[in-house]
Formats: sequence, C-alpha cells, structure tokens
Amino acid sequence: MSKKHDKSKGLTRRDVLKISAASAVAASTPMFFVKDAWAQKAIGNFPVNGPTVTYGFNVPLTSIYADEGEDELRAYKLAVKHLNNGGGMVETLQPNALKRNGVLGKKVEYVVGDTQTNPDAARTSARRMIERDKVIMFSGGSSSAIAIAQQYLAQELGVIFMCGLTHSNDTTGKDKRRYGFRHFFNAYMTGKALAPILSKEYGKDRRAFHLTADYTWGHTQYQSMKDFTEKEGWTTVDNIMTPVKTTDFSQFLTPILNSDADVLILNHYGKNMNNSLTNAVEFGFKEMQKNGKNMEIVVPLYSRLMAKGAGQKNIEGVLGTTAWNWTQKDDDPGSKAFVETFEKEYGFPPSQAAQTCYVQTIIYSDAVERAGTFYPPAVIKALEGHEFAGTGPGKTLYRAEDHQCFKDMLVVKGKSPSQLKGKYDLLEIVSKVKREDTVYPVDTFPGELGPYEPA
Amino acid sequence: MVNQIFLQIVTGLQLGAIYVLIALGLTLIFGTLGVVNFTHGALFMLGAFSAVIISGNYGFVAAIIIVPPFLFFFGVLMERFIVRFFYDRPHTDQILVTFGFAIVIQETLKWIFGSNNIPFKMPAWGRGILKLHEYVPFLDGFVAYPKWRFILITVSFFTVIALFALLQFTRFGMVIRAGMNDSEILSFLGINITRRFTLVFGLGSMIAGLAGVFAGPVTNVDPGLGMFYLVPSFLVVVIGGMGSLPGAVLASFLLGMAQSFTVSFAGLQAIVVYIVAVVVLLFMPRGLLGKKGVLD
Amino acid sequence: MGIINRGTIHLTVFALIVLTFPFWFEYTGGYAGLDTKIIIWAIFALGFDLLLITGYLSFGHAAFFGISAYATGLMLLHYSSNIIEAMIVGVVVSTIAAVIIGFLTLRRTGIYFSVLTLAFGEMFHTAAVSIFSGLTGGENGLTGLPTPTLFGEKMQGSNVFYLCAIFLIIGFYLARRITRSPFGLMLKSLKSNQTRLEYIGINVQFYKNSAFVLSSIYAAVAGSLMVIYEPYVATEFLEWKTSGTLVIMSVMGGVGTLFGPMIGAAFMLYFENVASVFLEEQWLLALGIMFMAIVVYLPGGFVDGYKRMMRHWVKKNQA
Repeated sequence: MSKKHDKSKGLTRRDVLKISAASAVAASTPMFFVKDAWAQKAIGNFPVNGPTVTYGFNVPLTSIYADEGEDELRAYKLAVKHLNNGGGMVETLQPNALKRNGVLGKKVEYVVGDTQTNPDAARTSARRMIERDKVIMFSGGSSSAIAIAQQYLAQELGVIFMCGLTHSNDTTGKDKRRYGFRHFFNAYMTGKALAPILSKEYGKDRRAFHLTADYTWGHTQYQSMKDFTEKEGWTTVDNIMTPVKTTDFSQFLTPILNSDADVLILNHYGKNMNNSLTNAVEFGFKEMQKNGKNMEIVVPLYSRLMAKGAGQKNIEGVLGTTAWNWTQKDDDPGSKAFVETFEKEYGFPPSQAAQTCYVQTIIYSDAVERAGTFYPPAVIKALEGHEFAGTGPGKTLYRAEDHQCFKDMLVVKGKSPSQLKGKYDLLEIVSKVKREDTVYPVDTFPGELGPYEPA
Repeated sequence: MVNQIFLQIVTGLQLGAIYVLIALGLTLIFGTLGVVNFTHGALFMLGAFSAVIISGNYGFVAAIIIVPPFLFFFGVLMERFIVRFFYDRPHTDQILVTFGFAIVIQETLKWIFGSNNIPFKMPAWGRGILKLHEYVPFLDGFVAYPKWRFILITVSFFTVIALFALLQFTRFGMVIRAGMNDSEILSFLGINITRRFTLVFGLGSMIAGLAGVFAGPVTNVDPGLGMFYLVPSFLVVVIGGMGSLPGAVLASFLLGMAQSFTVSFAGLQAIVVYIVAVVVLLFMPRGLLGKKGVLD
Repeated sequence: MGIINRGTIHLTVFALIVLTFPFWFEYTGGYAGLDTKIIIWAIFALGFDLLLITGYLSFGHAAFFGISAYATGLMLLHYSSNIIEAMIVGVVVSTIAAVIIGFLTLRRTGIYFSVLTLAFGEMFHTAAVSIFSGLTGGENGLTGLPTPTLFGEKMQGSNVFYLCAIFLIIGFYLARRITRSPFGLMLKSLKSNQTRLEYIGINVQFYKNSAFVLSSIYAAVAGSLMVIYEPYVATEFLEWKTSGTLVIMSVMGGVGTLFGPMIGAAFMLYFENVASVFLEEQWLLALGIMFMAIVVYLPGGFVDGYKRMMRHWVKKNQA
C-alpha cells in the first residue's frame, strides 16, 4: 500500500486504479497532481479537475422531513442555474464576486442524495457523493442529528458541508466543526427573540409545561426556552422528553391536564409537532382556562410546511419563530429576486428551508470566487467573518469563531382560516426581530472548531 | 391526587384500546392459522390511509362503513393468493412472505401518497372534551378528557365482545375454536376448514381496518405507521400468550397502564413495555394466558 | 486427495475475488467505500447463515451488531484510538449479551423465537435512545470519534478494506470448517428433527446456543468493523430494520449455503446504492417485490437459481 496516497484520504484506491488503468483520464490526472502539488496539498476532493465542478445536495427525499427536503432540492437546482447563468440572488448579493459563468470558470453540476431523515443513511449518501461523485462541497438536511453527523464526516474527509435546516444549538456549539457552516438560526436565538413577545402577549406570571423531542435539537430548544421565559418571570412547571418516534402524545398530555400550567410549549418539529399539536387541540388545551387565564400553546420553531401538516385550524393563534417567510419578498431585493425566480420556476413560493439552502449554495460559491481557489482551508477562511447583504432582510454575518450566521428573523403566528390570502399564506408576521437582538457571546456554548486541514 | 390517578387510568385504558384493536386480529390469525402475520401493521396502516381518504371526501361515517369491509376483502385476497401457499411450508417462510408483503404495501403507499403526514380530521361529533367531574362523583374541580378517547375505548370494548360472541355462540366460531385445537380432525369430519381459514384471515384484517379508522385521528397518517405499531402489537400478543384472545386483551391494558403510569420518568417510559415483556416471559414463558398448543 | 482439493480451490478463489474486489468493482458501477461496506455486511450475513441452517430465524440480530458497534465506539472515544482493544471489547460485550439472550429465547422454537428476538432487539434499541442516551448520544448517534488506528497506522481507505477483507476470508474459512464438521451436521439436523435428536439423548440446547452465539460473534465483528470503517455509531445499527435487512439479504442470496447470504448482501447494497440512481425512491418497492417473488418461487435464493440454471444447461447440452 502506498503511503503517499493514504495521506490524501478516502480516494486512495481510486487513484491507484486510475494510474494503473492507463486510460485517457488516468494519463492526465498525474499532471494535475504535479501542477497543484507544490501550491496547495490535496484535501478532500481538491484539486478540482476538468471543466466542471460538482456540488452534492443531500436532502431527505423520504421519511418524515421529505416535504422540506423536496423544497430544499428545488432551491439547490435554482441556485445552480443562477450560478451558471445569472439571476436570483446572484444579482443582489453584496459584496459580490460571482461571475455568472459557474464558479472559477467551471460550470456547476450537482448530484442528489437521500438522507431518509436518518443520520446513518445521510452519512452513507454523503460518502457516496464525496467518493464516487467527487463533490467539492455538500449541503442539505432537515434535522440537527443529521447535520451534526455530516459535519463530523465533512471534517474527517476534508469536504465543506453547508448545513441546511438545522436549529440545534449544538450544530454551532458543542459539535461545531471547521468544515461545517450554518446559515439557519438556532434554538438560543428562538428563545431570545420569542420570550419577550410571549410575556408581552400572555403576561409575566405564566406557568409553562414543556413537551420536548428527545434528541439534540429538542434538548437545546427546551433549555433555551426555559432560560429565556424564566428571565421574563415565567415559571417552568415541568418538562417531559418524548421519544422521537411517538405518534400519539396522549400519555404525555395527561399530566398537563392535571398540573397548574397555563402554557404548553411544544419543543417538537415536523411530524412530531403535527401530532403533538393535533393531540393538544383534541385535549381541549386551546379552549381551556387555567389559573383564571386562557391556556396557550407555543411552538417555538415553526415553518409554513409544518403549519400545513398540522392543519390551519390547529395552528391558529399559535406563536413561534421562523427564519424567513416568502411574504418578505416586498422587504428587500434579495428575497424579492429569490421568491420571484422560484415562483417562476415552480409555480409556488419557497419555504424557509429552501431559502437557507439557496443562500448557502450562493454564499459558498461567492467565497470560492473571493478565495480564487477551491482549496478548502482558503474557502473556509473566506467564509469566516464574512459579512454580506442582499440575501434577505438586513446584513448577515458568518461569525468566524463558531460558523454561525447572524441575521434578522421572524416571530410568527398561525393565521385563522378566514384571514388566509391564498394557499401559501399561512403565517402572520408578529415581529421582525433585528440581528442585534439575537446575538450572543461565542463562549455561551462549549466546543472546538478543529483544524483547517483534516487530520 | 385522586384526579391524577383517575386520569392516568383513563389514559392507560385508551392506550390499551388501540393495542387491543391491532393485536386482536394478529392473535386471532395466529391462534387459528398458526401464521405470524408481519403484514398486520401494514393492514392497520392501509385501514388508516383508506379511512383518511374516504372520510376526507365522503365523511367519517362513510369511512366506518367502507373501510372494514374493504380490509376484509383485502385480507381474503391476501390469504387466497399469498398466505395459503405457505401453510405447508416452514413457519419461518410465512414470516418472510408476510414481511415482504408489508414492505410492498408500505412502499406502495409511500409512492402514491408521499411520506408526509396526512392530517386526519376528527368528525365533528367526536371532537371536544368530556367534563368528567360532572359524571364521576369522587372527582373534584375541573377534570376533562377528549371525547374521542372514550369513543376509542367503546369501539374496542364492543369489538372484543362481538368477537368473543362470534367465537363462542356461532357454529362458525365453534369450528374455528375446534380448528385452533386440531385442524386435522375437522378435515376428517369433512368440514371445509380452508374456506373458514380464509374468512378468519379476512376477519383479522377487518379488525385491523377498524383500528385504522378509529386510531387514525389520534396518530395522523403516514407510511411509517404500520412498522411503528408492529413491534408493540407483537409484544402484546407475546405477553398475552400467542393465540390467546383474552390474553391479548389483558396484555394490551397492562402495557397501556404501564406506559401511562411511568410517563414522568422519561427513559423508563420508553422501555417499560420491554421490561414488562421480559419479566412476564421469564416467569411465564408462554405468556400470561398462553396454553401449550400444537404450534409450540 | 493431496493438498489441492476442492475446498482449497474454493477458498483460494474466494480470497482472490475478495482481495481484488476494489480493482474491478468500479467498472461495475460501484465506488470506493461501498466495497468495504459490502465486505462488512458479508461478514454479518455469513455469520447469520450459521444460525439459519438450524432453522431458527432471528429478527433481533441487529442487537449484537449494534452492541458491538457502540462498545467499539465508546472504546475509541474514551480509551484509545487503537482498534485492537476496541474490537476485543466490542466482541466480548456483544457475545455476553448473546449468551444471555440466547438462553432466554432459545427455549422457544420457530415463530416464538422470531418474535422474541424481535422484542429483545427493539428493547436494546429503545434503551440506547432513552435510558442510555447519555452514554450513546441518543438519537444523534455516537459522534466525534477519533480516526481509528492500528499500530500507529491510520485506518482509512484501503487499510480498512483489507482489514475487513482479511476478517471475511478467515470468517469464511471457519464457517466452512464448522458446517462440514460433525458439529455442523448436528446444527443442520436441528432444522428437520429436533425431537428425534432429543430422544437419542443429544443435548439440543447446547447446539442451538452454540449456533446462536457463533453467529452473534460474526455480527459483533461486523459491527465493530463498521465503526472502524466509519467512525460513527448510528442508532439504526440497533434497530430492527437492520435485522430485517439482514434477513432479506440472506433469504435472497440463499439460506444455508454460506455463499448465498454474502451474495445477497452484495446484491442488496449494490442495488441500494447503484440501482437507486435510476429507480429513485422506488428502489425499496422493487426490492420488496423481488424479495417476495424469491420467497414464493425460489426459496433457495440466488444460489438455488444458479444451480437450477446450471442443471438445465447441462441437461440441454447432453440432449
């Protein structure tokens, strides 16, 4: 076994094979190796050979987050189209290094994988993209467990992972990785933005009961909601961790019936949230009186697609946070350009997951142009601490120390069926929360990013 | 305190009610035909899918009328064209073919309806809560519980009664019970047991369909539902004693209560059903009411 | 017969195919990395066959794969990145679990056994994501493992492949020896007439338990290698879906033939990773239908199909 190849990680046998196979491709490969060898060492799938560059989009096409996965994929395809031909946020990004002819003159191609909403399947599929399809960057996801699993893989193999929808504090906290970047907001920001509004709407002497999905995202979401609502003067009565696979939440709702809690906080997402909210409404929590007040239900992390799955009647009046909503297209040129091109392409507006995935693809490509190379450490440095605008309301900052983006976000409320203007207008924007209001010190969470060059 | 215990018992009952509806058909088919039907969860799911579609278009009552017969018919076809050829093959082959069929049903539903959650709206008459303190004297203050859960308990209660009556008091039932003990003798007596087996299979899947109709509104509907309920319903059947109908009923409520009363202990709550299973099987290897049978 | 007998030839050919796997696999549409995974699953399936020849169908073998994977992962994380200790601990812990579960479940036969193993397997899975989630990382799986090493050499890429390949070749050699020994014949006869064996005073329980533990050792080795191949432990390793996949592989390939389950494993992973490109999300449906068709029409799996084809071909040529 050749030691030299082992150092370049992952692709060893393929390379050996290529050299020994003496095919046309193989003949040209060593040339590139020699050319780049003295400049930058091979990391992951760098150097990129040939006239094209491949991105990998690893999204849930089956299982519980499939709806979001499909929308993410639409956004990725659109982003690739815009990178190659111009249009969308490629026109509005500020500062902008994109040239509308692909990235570094190479046409952008993509491959698609299915994470099956399952960390193991996601890693398998990501590995396939990296090892078979030679992707230079991969992106996607609708679950924090999956995002974290892929971040570790990214660090191991030296291929940058641009997280899709992941909201756990751990993604850019305890489990942050040098090769992982998150554009989406997180549970901490949700708590910080939502708690003041909750106390304004429902009063300062509320007693909250939490139901929490028993995995990384749920845990951090519960912790953040607890901390920030208690700061507002609320009392946390109790919390029950619910297994992720629960379909009927009745056994967890019974203790709440019996408690003196007057707010129910559902730290659930996707199908969990659909079912827990349905069950909570069935248990009469929306009409119930406790401590002389109306019982309220709060769903801290919201999405339009989830609202649809839960049923409009159930989400009516329920407060929560979301990263972005398509109705913001009138607010800023970036959102406008994105929503309009997306609607033109697919006939309906994009979700918040689509927006985050689209921006991630654009911003990665911009960083490559600015770095002038696909060399991962250089691209990472170009992303770290970069501030940009034109991808949504206000300015966005990629914080260097934890790879978390800071930008404006929304507090929303489910509209009542009579308020709806069209099929996709489900959420009412209660408050546009400014970036400054959700920033937190980097040492709030532990964790190390790790080295620029994978070990 | 009284309120709390009372509500917890109600919760245990209604959780058990869902288990009963699913496990009843499973244990009936096992006891009579000796077939471990890995498709049973998928049949329950098929019931829930048909119910959500039909009730969305024609109302919930239509679903109650159409879905169970549809599942009966589906079960009959399944027995006739798949399961029947496996009576003479090793038992493990029956497991394999029903397991394969479960995958086929699941993937087909996924293909047609996608993998997303389909919200199942309760009919208007089933929505809302019952104010229990108005009926139960020893409860104080305000104690309410969703009406639908009581409907679930009622449906499962009458299903159990109807099934026992069918087996106990009809000629069909007598033949089935005899067949559960020894099918060879019956064929010597010239009774066509095969046709009755087909009917039993239909009956089993009909009850699964009924479970789908009434449990659908509390679980919502997606293609993972079948596999999700398969393992707990097997546990119920094993704990109760395979093939024993009273055993299945007993075990269902035992598991329901165990889940309801451990709810404040997050980790324990998740595995309590397995702990119950292991304890029961350690001391009673045949399950609570299992008998030494021919299939042992 | 001399040194060059049929067995040696079989083994040599097998070893050659396995060792050269990476060099021709790419031309069939595969890619580096998938080959290692196939080898690992082949070990898992090979061991499972040692149990299947006794007629016992376990739906809980993921437990041994998963327990070993977690134990290996925890060793790598908290003790040292050296794989020797990690593998030994993984296999030992898993084998202890197998002895206990085997003792409890093998008292029942046939269908009872299948359902009981299913229940036990799910128990471990549920425990890993609930009461033990502090240790196992819960639904996240066990992340942040260091790159495994062997004598200071990093276990990545081809290193892992050849490590797994060596285990598979040794495993195949041992499985062959076992099935051809008097002990193996006893295992096979358990399937047809257990009661008769009991009458003639044979300790049936001992043979059943041995087969169960043997097969779980293979599962444990495979589980451990899986973590070395990819330093991450997924909760899915313990889930009954993994057991189900193993059953499907073995049956499709051909139960009781040693070769069959390995071919089944290779076929299934290949099918999942390569054929899914054009079948998209429907690959599982296609697989389900294929599996049912095999159970109904070709209970001997691919190996039986191959034999039938050969017989047919020979007959035709003779005529």
